[in-house]
Amino acid sequence: MIALQIALQIAQWRAWAPSLETGEAWRQWAAQPWTPADQGEQPDCGFLPSMQRRRLSRMARMALEVAWPLCEEDEQLPFVFASRHGETQRTYALLGDVADQQPLSPTQFGLSVHNAIAGQWSILRGQRGAASAIAGEADTFEHAMLEAATLLDSGAPAVMVIIAEERPPSAYDGWIDDVPFSYALALRVGKPRAGQDASSTSRWQLQLSRNVADTGATHTTHGAWPYALDFLRALHEPGTPLEHTWKTRRWIWQPLP
Amino acid sequence: MNALQQDIAQLIIDTLNLEDLKPSDIPPEQPLFGQGLGLDSVDALELALALQKRYEIQIASDSRDARQHFATVASLAAFVEAQRAACAN
Repeated sequence: MIALQIALQIAQWRAWAPSLETGEAWRQWAAQPWTPADQGEQPDCGFLPSMQRRRLSRMARMALEVAWPLCEEDEQLPFVFASRHGETQRTYALLGDVADQQPLSPTQFGLSVHNAIAGQWSILRGQRGAASAIAGEADTFEHAMLEAATLLDSGAPAVMVIIAEERPPSAYDGWIDDVPFSYALALRVGKPRAGQDASSTSRWQLQLSRNVADTGATHTTHGAWPYALDFLRALHEPGTPLEHTWKTRRWIWQPLP
Repeated sequence: MNALQQDIAQLIIDTLNLEDLKPSDIPPEQPLFGQGLGLDSVDALELALALQKRYEIQIASDSRDARQHFATVASLAAFVEAQRAACAN
Protein backbone atom coordinates (compact mmCIF):
# COMPACT_ATOMS: atom_id res chain seq x y z
CA MET A 1 0.00 0.00 0.00
CA ILE A 2 1.33 3.41 -0.93
CA ALA A 3 1.06 5.82 1.99
CA LEU A 4 2.33 8.84 0.17
CA GLN A 5 3.28 10.00 -3.29
CA ILE A 6 4.81 13.34 -4.20
CA ALA A 7 6.45 14.81 -7.28
CA LEU A 8 9.44 17.15 -7.10
CA GLN A 9 11.70 18.98 -9.48
CA ILE A 10 15.37 19.49 -8.61
CA ALA A 11 16.07 22.83 -10.26
CA GLN A 12 19.66 23.13 -8.99
CA TRP A 13 21.97 21.46 -6.52
CA ARG A 14 25.37 22.09 -4.93
CA ALA A 15 27.40 19.87 -2.63
CA TRP A 16 30.51 20.16 -0.49
CA ALA A 17 32.74 17.62 1.25
CA PRO A 18 36.48 17.59 2.01
CA SER A 19 38.28 17.54 -1.40
CA LEU A 20 34.91 17.47 -3.20
CA GLU A 21 34.26 21.12 -3.94
CA THR A 22 33.37 21.25 -7.63
CA GLY A 23 30.69 19.79 -9.87
CA GLU A 24 33.39 17.86 -11.71
CA ALA A 25 34.72 16.33 -8.45
CA TRP A 26 31.19 15.22 -7.56
CA ARG A 27 30.67 13.77 -11.05
CA GLN A 28 33.73 11.59 -10.51
CA TRP A 29 32.58 10.69 -7.01
CA ALA A 30 29.09 9.77 -8.31
CA ALA A 31 30.58 7.50 -10.98
CA GLN A 32 32.72 5.61 -8.46
CA PRO A 33 32.20 6.78 -4.89
CA TRP A 34 34.97 6.72 -2.30
CA THR A 35 35.41 8.01 1.25
CA PRO A 36 37.51 11.18 1.17
CA ALA A 37 39.79 11.78 4.17
CA ASP A 38 38.14 14.23 6.57
CA GLN A 39 40.70 16.37 8.38
CA GLY A 40 38.35 19.09 9.50
CA GLU A 41 38.70 21.17 6.33
CA GLN A 42 35.98 23.76 5.94
CA PRO A 43 34.77 26.07 3.16
CA ASP A 44 36.05 29.63 3.58
CA CYS A 45 32.68 31.33 2.84
CA GLY A 46 34.63 34.24 1.37
CA PHE A 47 31.34 35.86 0.26
CA LEU A 48 30.86 36.94 3.89
CA PRO A 49 32.87 39.64 5.69
CA SER A 50 34.92 38.22 8.57
CA MET A 51 32.72 39.90 11.23
CA GLN A 52 29.80 37.82 9.91
CA ARG A 53 31.82 34.62 9.56
CA ARG A 54 33.08 34.60 13.13
CA ARG A 55 30.20 32.66 14.67
CA LEU A 56 29.78 30.12 11.89
CA SER A 57 30.60 26.56 12.89
CA ARG A 58 32.14 24.21 10.38
CA MET A 59 28.70 22.77 9.66
CA ALA A 60 27.22 26.26 9.22
CA ARG A 61 30.01 27.13 6.75
CA MET A 62 29.34 23.94 4.82
CA ALA A 63 25.61 24.67 4.68
CA LEU A 64 26.01 28.33 3.67
CA GLU A 65 28.68 27.52 1.09
CA VAL A 66 26.35 25.19 -0.82
CA ALA A 67 23.12 27.16 -0.32
CA TRP A 68 24.38 30.68 -0.97
CA PRO A 69 24.26 30.89 -4.81
CA LEU A 70 21.02 28.90 -5.11
CA CYS A 71 18.95 31.78 -3.74
CA GLU A 72 18.77 35.05 -5.68
CA GLU A 73 19.61 38.31 -3.89
CA ASP A 74 16.05 39.66 -4.16
CA GLU A 75 14.26 36.37 -3.54
CA GLN A 76 12.51 34.94 -0.46
CA LEU A 77 12.56 31.14 -0.23
CA PRO A 78 11.31 28.80 2.49
CA PHE A 79 14.27 27.00 4.06
CA VAL A 80 14.52 23.40 5.24
CA PHE A 81 17.62 22.40 7.21
CA ALA A 82 18.00 18.68 7.85
CA SER A 83 20.64 16.82 9.80
CA ARG A 84 20.30 13.53 11.64
CA HIS A 85 23.06 14.21 14.14
CA GLY A 86 23.43 17.99 14.10
CA GLU A 87 26.44 19.74 15.60
CA THR A 88 27.96 16.81 17.47
CA GLN A 89 31.39 18.48 17.66
CA ARG A 90 29.99 21.61 19.30
CA THR A 91 27.68 19.71 21.65
CA TYR A 92 30.45 17.33 22.69
CA ALA A 93 32.76 20.27 23.52
CA LEU A 94 29.99 21.81 25.67
CA LEU A 95 29.43 18.52 27.47
CA GLY A 96 33.18 18.40 28.17
CA ASP A 97 32.98 21.85 29.77
CA VAL A 98 30.02 20.71 31.88
CA ALA A 99 31.97 17.62 33.01
CA ASP A 100 34.98 19.80 33.89
CA GLN A 101 32.69 22.25 35.72
CA GLN A 102 33.79 25.05 33.41
CA PRO A 103 31.46 27.91 32.51
CA LEU A 104 29.84 27.44 29.10
CA SER A 105 30.56 29.76 26.21
CA PRO A 106 27.38 31.80 25.57
CA THR A 107 28.02 31.72 21.81
CA GLN A 108 28.59 27.96 21.67
CA PHE A 109 25.58 27.31 23.89
CA GLY A 110 23.30 29.65 21.95
CA LEU A 111 24.28 28.15 18.61
CA SER A 112 24.13 24.51 19.66
CA VAL A 113 20.38 24.28 18.93
CA HIS A 114 19.28 22.44 15.81
CA ASN A 115 17.72 25.48 14.17
CA ALA A 116 20.79 27.72 14.65
CA ILE A 117 21.92 27.37 11.02
CA ALA A 118 18.42 28.19 9.75
CA GLY A 119 18.55 31.29 11.97
CA GLN A 120 21.97 32.32 10.67
CA TRP A 121 20.79 31.86 7.08
CA SER A 122 17.76 34.04 7.83
CA ILE A 123 19.90 36.82 9.36
CA LEU A 124 22.72 36.75 6.81
CA ARG A 125 20.41 36.60 3.77
CA GLY A 126 17.54 38.71 5.10
CA GLN A 127 15.17 35.78 4.69
CA ARG A 128 11.90 36.38 6.53
CA GLY A 129 9.91 33.31 5.44
CA ALA A 130 9.34 29.85 6.86
CA ALA A 131 12.35 27.91 8.12
CA SER A 132 12.29 24.35 9.43
CA ALA A 133 15.00 22.30 11.12
CA ILE A 134 14.58 18.54 10.92
CA ALA A 135 16.35 15.64 12.59
CA GLY A 136 15.08 12.27 11.40
CA GLU A 137 16.72 8.88 11.34
CA ALA A 138 18.79 7.38 8.51
CA ASP A 139 16.03 8.62 6.15
CA THR A 140 16.29 12.24 7.32
CA PHE A 141 16.85 13.18 3.66
CA GLU A 142 13.45 11.82 2.59
CA HIS A 143 11.74 13.59 5.49
CA ALA A 144 13.35 16.85 4.41
CA MET A 145 12.05 16.38 0.88
CA LEU A 146 8.59 15.62 2.27
CA GLU A 147 8.77 18.87 4.25
CA ALA A 148 9.71 20.69 1.03
CA ALA A 149 6.73 19.12 -0.75
CA THR A 150 4.34 20.39 1.93
CA LEU A 151 5.79 23.91 1.55
CA LEU A 152 5.41 23.73 -2.25
CA ASP A 153 1.87 22.50 -1.76
CA SER A 154 1.03 25.52 0.37
CA GLY A 155 2.11 27.83 -2.43
CA ALA A 156 5.88 28.35 -2.24
CA PRO A 157 7.34 28.71 -5.77
CA ALA A 158 10.54 26.93 -4.68
CA VAL A 159 12.13 25.63 -1.49
CA MET A 160 15.76 25.57 -0.36
CA VAL A 161 16.65 22.21 1.20
CA ILE A 162 19.99 21.66 2.98
CA ILE A 163 21.18 18.32 4.26
CA ALA A 164 24.36 18.48 6.33
CA GLU A 165 26.28 16.03 8.49
CA GLU A 166 29.63 16.34 10.19
CA ARG A 167 31.99 13.56 11.24
CA PRO A 168 31.27 13.20 14.96
CA PRO A 169 33.92 13.07 17.72
CA SER A 170 35.39 9.56 18.08
CA ALA A 171 33.48 9.09 21.36
CA TYR A 172 30.40 8.49 19.17
CA ASP A 173 32.03 5.79 17.03
CA GLY A 174 29.97 3.01 18.56
CA TRP A 175 26.69 4.80 17.88
CA ILE A 176 27.00 6.84 14.70
CA ASP A 177 27.85 4.75 11.66
CA ASP A 178 26.19 6.67 8.83
CA VAL A 179 28.50 9.68 8.42
CA PRO A 180 31.50 8.32 6.48
CA PHE A 181 32.67 11.90 5.92
CA SER A 182 31.35 15.40 6.49
CA TYR A 183 29.11 16.67 3.72
CA ALA A 184 26.48 19.23 2.83
CA LEU A 185 24.01 19.13 -0.04
CA ALA A 186 21.76 22.01 -1.07
CA LEU A 187 18.82 21.43 -3.38
CA ARG A 188 16.59 24.02 -4.93
CA VAL A 189 13.33 22.14 -5.16
CA GLY A 190 10.19 23.00 -7.12
CA LYS A 191 7.02 21.39 -8.43
CA PRO A 192 7.33 19.68 -11.79
CA ARG A 193 5.04 21.36 -14.29
CA ALA A 194 3.72 20.22 -17.65
CA GLY A 195 5.76 21.52 -20.56
CA GLN A 196 8.67 22.41 -18.28
CA ASP A 197 12.03 22.24 -19.92
CA ALA A 198 13.71 19.64 -17.75
CA SER A 199 16.58 17.26 -18.08
CA SER A 200 15.99 13.57 -17.46
CA THR A 201 17.56 13.73 -14.00
CA SER A 202 15.65 16.58 -12.50
CA ARG A 203 12.04 15.40 -12.10
CA TRP A 204 11.29 12.77 -9.51
CA GLN A 205 8.40 10.99 -7.87
CA LEU A 206 8.85 9.99 -4.25
CA GLN A 207 6.70 7.19 -2.88
CA LEU A 208 6.43 5.99 0.68
CA SER A 209 5.07 2.57 1.48
CA ARG A 210 5.37 0.13 4.36
CA ASN A 211 8.65 -1.75 4.49
CA VAL A 212 7.30 -5.30 4.80
CA ALA A 213 10.84 -6.64 5.28
CA ASP A 214 11.07 -4.76 8.56
CA THR A 215 11.20 -7.20 11.44
CA GLY A 216 11.06 -4.63 14.21
CA ALA A 217 14.73 -5.11 15.05
CA THR A 218 16.34 -2.11 16.72
CA HIS A 219 19.05 -1.88 14.12
CA THR A 220 18.05 -1.84 10.52
CA THR A 221 20.64 -1.55 7.84
CA HIS A 222 21.16 1.51 5.73
CA GLY A 223 22.95 1.75 2.41
CA ALA A 224 26.69 2.17 1.87
CA TRP A 225 26.29 5.93 1.41
CA PRO A 226 24.06 8.41 3.21
CA TYR A 227 20.71 8.65 1.41
CA ALA A 228 21.24 12.28 0.43
CA LEU A 229 24.51 11.39 -1.29
CA ASP A 230 22.97 8.30 -2.83
CA PHE A 231 20.35 10.60 -4.35
CA LEU A 232 23.13 12.89 -5.57
CA ARG A 233 24.59 9.86 -7.37
CA ALA A 234 21.21 9.19 -8.97
CA LEU A 235 21.12 12.78 -10.23
CA HIS A 236 24.16 11.82 -12.32
CA GLU A 237 22.68 8.59 -13.65
CA PRO A 238 19.66 9.30 -15.81
CA GLY A 239 16.79 6.90 -15.42
CA THR A 240 17.94 5.12 -12.28
CA PRO A 241 15.28 4.54 -9.62
CA LEU A 242 16.35 4.39 -5.98
CA GLU A 243 15.04 2.53 -2.99
CA HIS A 244 15.80 3.68 0.56
CA THR A 245 14.43 1.73 3.49
CA TRP A 246 14.55 2.40 7.20
CA LYS A 247 12.57 0.50 9.82
CA THR A 248 8.92 0.49 8.68
CA ARG A 249 9.48 2.94 5.83
CA ARG A 250 10.24 2.13 2.22
CA TRP A 251 10.95 5.17 0.07
CA ILE A 252 11.14 4.82 -3.70
CA TRP A 253 12.55 7.55 -5.92
CA GLN A 254 11.39 7.17 -9.52
CA PRO A 255 12.63 9.50 -12.26
CA LEU A 256 9.76 11.17 -14.12
CA PRO A 257 9.89 11.57 -17.90
CA MET B 1 49.86 50.11 23.14
CA ASN B 2 51.20 48.58 26.41
CA ALA B 3 51.70 44.86 27.01
CA LEU B 4 48.36 44.34 28.77
CA GLN B 5 46.46 46.23 26.06
CA GLN B 6 48.21 44.13 23.42
CA ASP B 7 47.31 40.99 25.37
CA ILE B 8 43.65 42.00 25.65
CA ALA B 9 43.44 42.87 21.96
CA GLN B 10 44.78 39.39 21.13
CA LEU B 11 42.32 37.81 23.58
CA ILE B 12 39.45 39.62 21.82
CA ILE B 13 40.65 38.34 18.44
CA ASP B 14 41.07 34.74 19.62
CA THR B 15 37.90 34.57 21.71
CA LEU B 16 35.62 36.16 19.13
CA ASN B 17 37.27 34.43 16.18
CA LEU B 18 38.09 37.66 14.31
CA GLU B 19 40.24 35.76 11.86
CA ASP B 20 41.46 38.62 9.68
CA LEU B 21 42.55 40.98 12.50
CA LYS B 22 45.83 41.62 14.35
CA PRO B 23 46.10 43.35 17.77
CA SER B 24 47.36 46.51 16.03
CA ASP B 25 44.04 46.64 14.11
CA ILE B 26 42.25 47.39 17.40
CA PRO B 27 43.60 50.75 18.66
CA PRO B 28 43.29 51.05 22.49
CA GLU B 29 40.88 54.00 22.26
CA GLN B 30 38.64 52.59 19.50
CA PRO B 31 35.09 51.75 20.67
CA LEU B 32 34.61 47.98 20.72
CA PHE B 33 30.82 47.97 20.50
CA GLY B 34 28.40 49.44 18.01
CA GLN B 35 30.34 51.89 15.86
CA GLY B 36 34.03 51.04 15.86
CA LEU B 37 34.91 47.36 15.95
CA GLY B 38 31.22 46.42 15.81
CA LEU B 39 30.90 43.87 18.60
CA ASP B 40 27.48 43.06 20.07
CA SER B 41 25.96 41.89 23.36
CA VAL B 42 26.75 38.20 22.80
CA ASP B 43 30.39 39.19 22.24
CA ALA B 44 30.30 41.07 25.56
CA LEU B 45 29.21 37.92 27.41
CA GLU B 46 31.85 35.85 25.64
CA LEU B 47 34.53 38.42 26.36
CA ALA B 48 33.60 38.69 30.06
CA LEU B 49 33.97 34.92 30.37
CA ALA B 50 37.37 34.95 28.63
CA LEU B 51 38.65 37.83 30.79
CA GLN B 52 37.60 36.05 33.99
CA LYS B 53 39.38 32.86 32.93
CA ARG B 54 42.49 34.56 31.65
CA TYR B 55 43.11 37.08 34.44
CA GLU B 56 41.37 35.25 37.29
CA ILE B 57 39.20 38.24 38.06
CA GLN B 58 35.52 38.57 38.93
CA ILE B 59 33.11 40.57 36.79
CA ALA B 60 29.70 41.18 38.35
CA SER B 61 27.11 40.86 35.57
CA ASP B 62 24.89 43.54 37.12
CA SER B 63 27.67 46.08 37.51
CA ARG B 64 26.45 49.50 36.45
CA ASP B 65 29.98 50.34 35.37
CA ALA B 66 30.34 47.35 33.01
CA ARG B 67 29.41 49.46 29.99
CA GLN B 68 32.30 51.83 30.69
CA HIS B 69 34.77 49.04 31.48
CA PHE B 70 34.00 47.30 28.18
CA ALA B 71 34.07 50.44 26.03
CA THR B 72 37.62 50.11 24.66
CA VAL B 73 40.77 48.00 24.96
CA ALA B 74 42.27 50.80 27.11
CA SER B 75 39.32 50.82 29.53
CA LEU B 76 39.37 47.02 29.74
CA ALA B 77 43.09 47.07 30.53
CA ALA B 78 42.53 49.64 33.30
CA PHE B 79 39.66 47.54 34.67
CA VAL B 80 41.73 44.33 34.64
CA GLU B 81 44.57 46.07 36.47
CA ALA B 82 42.20 47.47 39.10
CA GLN B 83 40.56 44.06 39.62
CA ARG B 84 43.92 42.33 39.91
CA ALA B 85 45.04 44.88 42.50
CA ALA B 86 41.76 44.41 44.41
CA CYS B 87 42.12 40.61 44.36
CA ALA B 88 45.76 40.79 45.48
CA ASN B 89 44.82 42.74 48.62
